[in-house]
Amino acid sequence: MIIIYMLQILLIFLSIYIISSKNNLKAIIFFSIFSLVTASLYYFLKAPDLALAEVAIGSAITPLIYIIAISKQREFLVVSHISKRDSFLLNTKDTVGKGYKLLDDFTKHYNLKLVINHGKYDELKGIFRSRNIDLVIEKSKKNGRYILKGKKTSILMNKLAQLTITDDDIEVITIEEGEIYD
Amino acid sequence: MKISFILAFILLCISIYGISVSKNIIKSIMLYNIIQSSVIIIFLNFGSIGASDIPIISELSENTANMVDPLPQALMITAIVIGAAITALGLMLSIKIFHYYGTLNWKDLIEREG
Repeated sequence: MIIIYMLQILLIFLSIYIISSKNNLKAIIFFSIFSLVTASLYYFLKAPDLALAEVAIGSAITPLIYIIAISKQREFLVVSHISKRDSFLLNTKDTVGKGYKLLDDFTKHYNLKLVINHGKYDELKGIFRSRNIDLVIEKSKKNGRYILKGKKTSILMNKLAQLTITDDDIEVITIEEGEIYD
Repeated sequence: MKISFILAFILLCISIYGISVSKNIIKSIMLYNIIQSSVIIIFLNFGSIGASDIPIISELSENTANMVDPLPQALMITAIVIGAAITALGLMLSIKIFHYYGTLNWKDLIEREG
């Protein structure tokens, strides 16, 4: 059967494209196409029940899981404990706060999505409780400096500390895993 | 059927090479799935040597001597479902790794860990 050989050569080209692609979303779309071609190959290899399972699982559910996982990774979750009237994190038409501008530039440089939650973390119920927090912002009562707290293991926190090393108002503290943020 | 074995083996070799050069964790999990489907193709080729009918008794195919072996198909339908579950587990671990280390690059992770 010549069609089996043609489908298998097509599979080889698709896998080479998946290896060499730089964009992850594009690779997921080509992985879905790969699964569809595999399903038709199973049908020609006299296994129709496998083709049915592969169309449902391989080309629909698995790319959905990949896309959900990638969109969860592209978030930078910030919890601020300073008051809302403070101009540090303000983002309106007239004034853009200093801290907001810093975090916005930082997350745009790494292709992340900035999510800021105001108020006490303990009062946030539901979906926010189980999430990983990347950064906590506080205002020191002694000298009025802004304190940014993050995980010690994260590479992003090291880059943020290097960016703000010349700034007098901002202080970056890294914390070991297991300690409490507040 | 011999050419079919060789083509499936080439697909297996390409994806193993891809895992060894890939920089991203997501790409590695994707290539693991490709390895799994190439192994499934090899098993199905073993079952269908010298046979021409699907393993379902009907009016069209009453002669059971011409049917393919249904045992590898029954094994491989389990492999597809377990592969989907392992993919979900690996992606969940990659989300945890990203929030802990801030990167998904293999080289940066190994340097970070020492």
